[in-house]
Amino acid sequence: MASGMIAQQRRTELLTNNMANANTPGYKADQSVIRSFPDMLMSRLGNAQIPTDDPLQLKTMNHIGAINAGVYMQETLPLFTQGQINETELTTDVALIDGNVPTNPATGKPGAFLFRLENQGQGESYTRNGNFTLDGQGFLVNPQGLYVLSDEGTRIQLQNDDFSIVADGRILVDDIEVNRIGISFAENPQALMKEDNGLFRTADETNLPSAYTTPEATFSMQQGFLEGSNVDSARTMTDMLTAYRAFEANQKVLQAYDRSMEKAVNEIGRV
Amino acid sequence: MLRTMITSTNTMSQLQQQLDTIGNNLSNSATTGYKARDVKFHELLYQQFNNDKLDRAPRQSPTGIRYGVGAVLGQAQMNWKQGTLQPTGRELDFAFSEPKQYFNILMPDEANGTKTVYTRQGAFYMSPMENGQLMLVNGEGYPVADSEGAPIVLEENASKFTISDGGNLTVSYPNGTTTQTQLAVSVLQKPQFMENLSAAYLGLPTNLAELGVTEQDILTNLQGADRAEIAMQNGTLEASNVNMSKEFTELISTQRSYQFNARAVTMADQMLGLINGIR
Repeated sequence: MASGMIAQQRRTELLTNNMANANTPGYKADQSVIRSFPDMLMSRLGNAQIPTDDPLQLKTMNHIGAINAGVYMQETLPLFTQGQINETELTTDVALIDGNVPTNPATGKPGAFLFRLENQGQGESYTRNGNFTLDGQGFLVNPQGLYVLSDEGTRIQLQNDDFSIVADGRILVDDIEVNRIGISFAENPQALMKEDNGLFRTADETNLPSAYTTPEATFSMQQGFLEGSNVDSARTMTDMLTAYRAFEANQKVLQAYDRSMEKAVNEIGRV
Repeated sequence: MLRTMITSTNTMSQLQQQLDTIGNNLSNSATTGYKARDVKFHELLYQQFNNDKLDRAPRQSPTGIRYGVGAVLGQAQMNWKQGTLQPTGRELDFAFSEPKQYFNILMPDEANGTKTVYTRQGAFYMSPMENGQLMLVNGEGYPVADSEGAPIVLEENASKFTISDGGNLTVSYPNGTTTQTQLAVSVLQKPQFMENLSAAYLGLPTNLAELGVTEQDILTNLQGADRAEIAMQNGTLEASNVNMSKEFTELISTQRSYQFNARAVTMADQMLGLINGIR
């Protein structure tokens, strides 16, 4: 019962974080997977006698059945559906819009397109948050100062924020192409580790392939817009209430156990 | 202690700051030359729990569970887009019809006399000086700089003001004589680096070295041939570029988010109550 309470508590914590990020651009709602602990198999050990002249003792083991040891939160998986697109009017804001997303044949789930960022000498990080800015040297960076990478994996330097980004990711200054925003394709986005500030990284720190060369992958970019969070507030609130009541139910059962124990100890055992 | 409460309170304090920014934008929706500020949220720290190291059950994600502790304001940005031009018919009202161009105002500074601040608010006035001359000042009485960085001083009885291409101010006198002055205009290449001094003024940040940028990186004072870029006209003022409907929509959604987070605190409190109520 206590394990159920802990699992439901974790669930409310996760849902609160989703709710807190309902206004965070590019935020992907976390989903929880609650799983029961592996069942324990109960067996009865006994003796059997074979009635012979010289009695033979045999050890026996009879299966009684499985006993459940409770539940735990096994996984937190980000949901990679498209968030709504909001206008911000800032030229350094880019929304990444999914077109045809190839599905992963192994899992049957769709992949994900992500912006490429240089993560301070630790390879690449990925994000859906297109809220960028220019640093002092004119490099396109995210708010934490991580460089946005181009399709060739280089940093993007611009004179000022008077540039335009066309739907296919090319950056134009005075109608001349100067660079192209790097987009990566994660075939199995569930395998990415989620970090603060909307960053994702691969568990083994290998870089994801470019989305431009992925077959059958289509996507577009929209300058002056941002992809909102994909948190559904109404659903999150409902889930919160469900988790809360499940927590309460577990507490009630725990109380009931306590009462039976009380009876066993104080009433049956009374001399 | 339940992390729910911490997550919510972290976020609530940040939402309050977003409300402050929206409030500031709304109250300056009628301030000429005001540029709307916009704040964006980011996720706070993520923590990883390796509570299932020995778990061999099939899974899709790397080992452990990760969850965050709320949202934080990532950056505040200025929307430098052009505001609409409002004709006023007054000769000393100036407006730029190109974004990022700014007037230079000589603001009194305690330390070293004056410092240059930048504004798009172009409602100027003539202020009499002790010797009978007139000085071009802004609404707060601070002198407007010319391209040399000096205050603009005109003779008494200046009567007609016209602005020509390149930011040249021609002043006519009743006796038929005219004088020409070049108004100082700076182009802010990177307006996001400027420090907000008030709704109307932007100043150079005081920690340039720390930011690793120089004054030349951020702004260009237009001189000589570059002055052809200046797009200035008089008899008009630039309205603020605050989009009221957008601000109000954000106000409502921010307020609701605040409510959601407050509700999460209540629920966490009730859960703690349940734990206490076990026995």
